[in-house]
Formats: sequence, structure tokens, C-alpha cells
Amino acid sequence: MSAVSDSLPITETATPETQADVAQALRDAYAARRAVYPLGGGTSLDYGLAPKQPGLGLSLGALQRVIDYPSRDLTITVEAGITIAELTAAMAAEGQQLPIDLPHAQVATLGGAIATNWSGARRYGYGTLRDYIIGISAVDGRGTPFKAGGRVVKNVAGYDFCKLLTGSLGTLSVITQVTLKAKPRPQRSAFAVAAVNNLAAASALLDALASSATTPVAIELIAGIAWSDISGELLPAGDLRIVVGLEGTAAEVDWMREQLAREWQPLGQSPEFITADLQVSALWTALNDFSSGPSELTVKINVLPSRAAELVGVVRELDATASIQAHAGNGIVLARFNELPPGGMLATMVKRLQPAARAAGGSAVILSANSGERTAQAVWGSPAADWPLMRAVKKQFDPHNILNPGRFVY
Amino acid sequence: MLVYECDGFVIEKNCPDVVVFPRTAQQVAAIVQLGNEYDVPVLPRGAGTSLAGGCLPVGGGIMVVLTRMKRIVEINLRDRYAVVEPGVVNIWLTKALAGAGFHYAPDPSSQGACTIGGNLATNSGGPHTLKYGVTVNHVLGLEAVLADGSIVEIGGPAEDSPGLDLTGVMVGSEGTLAIATKIWVRITRDPQGYRTLLGIFESVDDATNAISAIIGAGIVPAALEMMDQGILVALEEAFQFGFPLDAQAILLIEVDGLEAGLDAQRDQIIELCQRSGAREVRQARDAAERQKLWKCRKQAFGAVGRLSPSYCTQDGVVPRTKLPHMLRRIYQIGEKHDIKVVNVFHAGDGNLHPILLFDERDAAQVKRVLKASEEILDECIACGGSVTGEHGIGVEKIEFMSKLFAPEDLEVMERLRLAFNPAGRLSPHKMLPTAGACGMEQHHPGRRAAV
Repeated sequence: MSAVSDSLPITETATPETQADVAQALRDAYAARRAVYPLGGGTSLDYGLAPKQPGLGLSLGALQRVIDYPSRDLTITVEAGITIAELTAAMAAEGQQLPIDLPHAQVATLGGAIATNWSGARRYGYGTLRDYIIGISAVDGRGTPFKAGGRVVKNVAGYDFCKLLTGSLGTLSVITQVTLKAKPRPQRSAFAVAAVNNLAAASALLDALASSATTPVAIELIAGIAWSDISGELLPAGDLRIVVGLEGTAAEVDWMREQLAREWQPLGQSPEFITADLQVSALWTALNDFSSGPSELTVKINVLPSRAAELVGVVRELDATASIQAHAGNGIVLARFNELPPGGMLATMVKRLQPAARAAGGSAVILSANSGERTAQAVWGSPAADWPLMRAVKKQFDPHNILNPGRFVY
Repeated sequence: MLVYECDGFVIEKNCPDVVVFPRTAQQVAAIVQLGNEYDVPVLPRGAGTSLAGGCLPVGGGIMVVLTRMKRIVEINLRDRYAVVEPGVVNIWLTKALAGAGFHYAPDPSSQGACTIGGNLATNSGGPHTLKYGVTVNHVLGLEAVLADGSIVEIGGPAEDSPGLDLTGVMVGSEGTLAIATKIWVRITRDPQGYRTLLGIFESVDDATNAISAIIGAGIVPAALEMMDQGILVALEEAFQFGFPLDAQAILLIEVDGLEAGLDAQRDQIIELCQRSGAREVRQARDAAERQKLWKCRKQAFGAVGRLSPSYCTQDGVVPRTKLPHMLRRIYQIGEKHDIKVVNVFHAGDGNLHPILLFDERDAAQVKRVLKASEEILDECIACGGSVTGEHGIGVEKIEFMSKLFAPEDLEVMERLRLAFNPAGRLSPHKMLPTAGACGMEQHHPGRRAAV
């Protein structure tokens, strides 16, 4: 997390109080062709390319109300500036949750989480934000306020801008209000953990988990020094560990623990279980906060799930002490380099990680970097085949290119 | 040609000028280029099971029927995806996965006929989407032919590819953005077990209150369907399942998941149904009985043929807690227009499918059906809902778009369409109430009613 002034060329910041204010600010900016940098909790300002055009910071901090919470319908409508912690508290009061995990929940906003398409360990069992947004209100780069979707859980009227705006990094529109599906909170949460000697053993366990009779909510492969602080208290000794999150009723969680022990036995592994509430909650916190920890370079790699362990190996070859959290069940590998590998950031991304990720069916992007030139190739990789289409969409939503100019893939 | 003059929305018909049956993406691309060369509409079609006129060739042109692109290209169990061509019938994929412990979750009632390409176009749902999500939650990427005739891959089997989620906006775009020629879909592990219940109610109100009670208690069933007395009579005649014909409504409730948790969920549901006034709650005794129940439910629309020469299946959504009110209004509206309405629908989602019975040879009845449909959908909007949960807007509901959305909302949607389909030749006159680039409000341009 860095100060706004370090990351974005903001000359002044406006704090609109309503969607109408947001629309007015964007209409003015459109007329003046002035850059606008939407701000949530400021937790992801290093994500993307470094914009150079001075402009207006547009804080959504004042748009933080719960608009409507018909909890018996399992939906909630909130303004985009609400923090994840506030949203979590409001939903917990009704025994419900938005099962999306992310760091800095006290300051990170829902709008920011959607703009960056943030996800955490539980995406394996619960999916990602795109699966939860059923309605969205936003203002485009001309200052046109618009909405899509609605407040019901099933709705196919019109184009699904809920999906399009998720992960668009504030480059198409400024999100002002969101309707979400809610999930009931599980009765019980626990972990099965095991230390493994090497990546081959990790792969064997991950393969077994992919066809397990259990229904984990998280399948994580973790490694490196970031985890040493909590090892003594929570995790078995070792450098490479598999962490499996289990949620459900008490009976379901108990059965899954027994079943995992049965399934892992032929592989020579016996899981340890973390079941005490305090410890379970401490481990979830550690998993959720990982990506925000200190590093010279934090990278997100996405590949086919069966290739996740292989990419963990590639990272460890580059930096044996790198801290790693792989949402292995989803093929997502987060890596924090403690020091830049030889050749620096550019070579690490362009010559090593991106080709390795491509060979495994995916790509590699930078989440944050302390030094080195953040080129488009280093940050986002080679343009995908549908890049011209993305540009055409961008042009329709933001014809003057005033929203987060130069930050995203275009 | 007559086969292609309409889809499942039979109230309006129009013949395409040409029907083509491509087998490859390259052939689709060549067709789109020809459409550009001759400046005629190009309209993709799957099995034509769509119910909102999405496949009505407004203005004629070239109809691209994709049913011959029917290969399951790849199944990857370890990475949980399959690659299919658009003409693959929905159920084929689940059948191909049988025994492997996986299935394809979206299960529209027409899954024995409808294609995955068509499901992509309309973002189809189905009974089990209550727990598992609709088509968009299961599409990872696609290969598509764009409006300029180029072929491009969007997304793919690895999650979170950098850039905009164009896959997400392509799903449900009703053929107006591009033509999918290959689709990457997520496959889902089979649940360990099921408990399938039949709650029998003396009144529709009791049944709808039970739905709210179940969802409100934090239980998310895999499926929660409601059938009213009108449809039960037809189903019983067709399948002899043993439905109680004097019941006003029954709920078909299924929970699935780990065996360890199922009995407790079943017992809780039984208790909630009884507290809401259920006369009886039955449980499917075995897999065969469960299969038969689902067969009845999914073939309900076929059974309606026993009740009436023609019928119009509506599709509206309301917040679940508004279901009791909405059902009452549906019956009132039917009575007011002297149109019999029966109901079989995805109650857990609040997704209603009132079926209006009529005879399409009687022009006066057709008018009354259209009027009753309009009032039902207006009521859905008034309840804070939507006019379609899974059928799409097509041509049938174009005029509701300006009731659901403000002019600015539609303008932004129009601009998105321009990004993909600037000349408006792909599926013209669908979904948005503008006639493409000229921005004129349209009311059934050049459409010939069936009556």
C-alpha cells in the first residue's frame, strides 16, 4: 500500500457525495479532457502501468451507504465506496457473507475490489466477484450515469456490464453502486494442512484434491519466508505446504477431515487439522493478507490448475526465498520476490515468468513493483488476441481516454 | 425454409432469405464477410428453442444454423473444463461426462434439444442454476467470428486472463456482438448425494411462503421449483407420476452435496414446509424416482400441449419475497383477460414462467395473450424485478427495455454494440429498442405476425 501521491499524478482530489456529483465531475473532466483517477481505499494504486497525465483524484469514500438489504432475498445493494469491513459487518449481522477475501479490509472498498477483480483463497469454493454482482450503477467517461442488471438474482435483460466492469481497473467507468448476491455464512470453518518435501509431492496431493470426494473452499500451496512467522503456531514445519480450507456444517467438516486423511494415506501424507476458532481465523487472515506483504516485486501468474506447482517451481528457481501463495485449485500463483532476480524486473517478467506462464496456458502480470521500468509488456504481458476489441470497447465508454489513462492494457 | 421462420416464440414469423449450415469457424467467417459484401443481416441460430424471438430473422438475410458444428473438442477433467462447438446439445456434454464424476451444470428444461451456443447467446438458466449459477458462471472463454469476419479467441481455460472480461459481456448478448464457434466451459463435480422432496400445499400462498422460509433460513437448495394445480393436471395425464390433483401447488425441492450434511438439510426443509402449511412432504425413494420427477418437471412444457393448442411461456423475475404477491397478480390478470394461466417455475430464484394458454388461430385471443403478458411483466418491474430471467429480450420484449432501463442505460448498451458490431448486421433489431445506427425507436419493423 503506498501513498496516493507516490503512485498517481493527482493534482487535487474531489470527494463526491452522490452519483450525480460523480457524473458532474466526469462531465467537466470530459469537456476539459482532464484525466480522472478513481480512488477507493487506495490499496491497489501500484497495480497497472504508472499513469503520467496529471489529473483529478475522484474519491468514492463518501459513497458508502447500504442502500437496501432485503436479507431474506439474499441480496444487498450498497454504494461502491463502502469498505469491505463495513460490508462484512452488515452482512454478518444477518448471518450472511460475500465470500471474497482480500487484504486491508478496513480500508479497501467494494468498488476498488470490483475494479481490480480481487479474489482470495476461497475462490476455489465460492467463485469470484463476477459471480456475485447482479446489478451495477456507474458513470462512463462522458459523464453519462448508467445502470445494468438489477436487484434480482436472475436477470438477462440487456448487456451484462456487471461482468465487463469487473476487473476493468476504472478505465471504462466509475462504479457508484452495486447489488450483490449474498451467501449464508458457514457454521464451521477448519483447515487441513500438510508439509510436503518437494513440488512433485505437492503436485501429487493437488491432483488428489482435484478428484477428492470432499468439497474444499480453498486449495492453497504456500512457500517461502513470509509464512515462517506463523509456522510455529499454525503450520507444520517445512518450506512447502498444502493448506486446504474446509467449510460447512459441523458434520460436513468432520466428515471431510476424515475423508482427506483416508485419501492422502496412499500418498504417504497425513494432514494436520486446525479447528480452533482463533487459529482458523488467524490462518484465514494470513492467507487474505499475503499479497499486500513487503516485497521488491509482487507478481500474479494465472495458468491451468494442473500447472500451478510447476510455476511455483519457476518462481523458486528465480528467487529461492520468494514467498508464494498459490490458489492452486484455480491455477493462480501469487509471488513476492524479496530481491529482484538477476536481470531485474523486466527480464524476470518478459524473459522468464511470462513465457513459462504462456507455456502453461496462461499469463503473468505485476501487482506491485518497487523499482524498474514498468513497461506495458512487463506489467500486462503481450496483448491478447482480443486486444483490438478491448480498445474498441474502451473507446465507446471513454472516448477522450480520461479514465485512468495509460494504466491498463490499452 | 418454413422451419426457420421463427423459434419457440411463435407469435411472429418471417423467413430468412438464405439458410446456411457451416461446419467450421472459417466457413462462418466467410458467411459474415458475404453478409458485409451484400449488406444483409446475418443471424446465428442454434436449435431454435429460444422463447423470445432471438432467432426471428427480422429483415430476412442470412441465417447461420450452427447445429452441424457439434463436436465436443476436448474434455479435461483435471483442469475442469471442456471445449465444445456451438451446436453441441446441452445434455450431450453431461452424457459425455457420465461416469467421470463430472457434469455440465446449466440445465435448461430444453436441455435435450437446446445447444450450448444458444445457451451462451441467451445466458440460459435452468432449475439447478439456483445453486450452481447460470451459463455465464460456467463459460471460461470462446472463439468467435466478429462482425468484420475475423476469428478471435476471447478468454480461455486459464482463469483471470489480463484485460477486459469480454467473455462475460458476450454471454447473454443474443447474437448481437459476434458468433461463437468454439466455447470453453467449466465442468462441475457431481455431488455426492441428493435429497429430493415434494412439498404438497393446499394454497399457492403457503407454497410461496415456504420458499421464502427456506431461502431465508440460509438454505440454498440445488433446485427449488414450483408447479401449480393447472400444470399438475397436465403432467399427471402425461406421466402418471402420482401427483395429488387436488393440491393447489407443489414444490420440488432438491438439496445436494456431501452425504454428511444432507439429512439435516432435508429435515430442516421438511419442518419449514410443514410450518408454512404443507399438507405432506414426500421424499424421492431412490435415484429412479428422482429421475422421473425431474423428467416430469423438465418436460412440463411438452405436457402443456394437452391443455391447449397454443401457449406462450412467459419469463419474469421478482425478488423471492414478492412471489406470493406476484402469483396472486398473475391469476388475477389471467382472469381479467379470460386467459387460462398455469405456472411451473424456478421459485428459488424468483424466476416465474407463467404459461398462457390460447389458440393462435383466434386473433382476439392472441391480442388478449399479448395484453396479459404485458401486464404480468409490468408487475414484475413494479416489484423491483426483471422481464427476463433466462429467455432473453429477443424481439418479444424489446419494448420493455425502455421500462426497465433509462435512456442513458440503453445509450451505453448501444455504444457497446457499436464497438463489436458497428454496421449492425449481426442479429439486427434484437435486444435494444433502436434500429441500429439511426437511433429510431422501433416497433416490430417489417415483422409479420402469425395471426
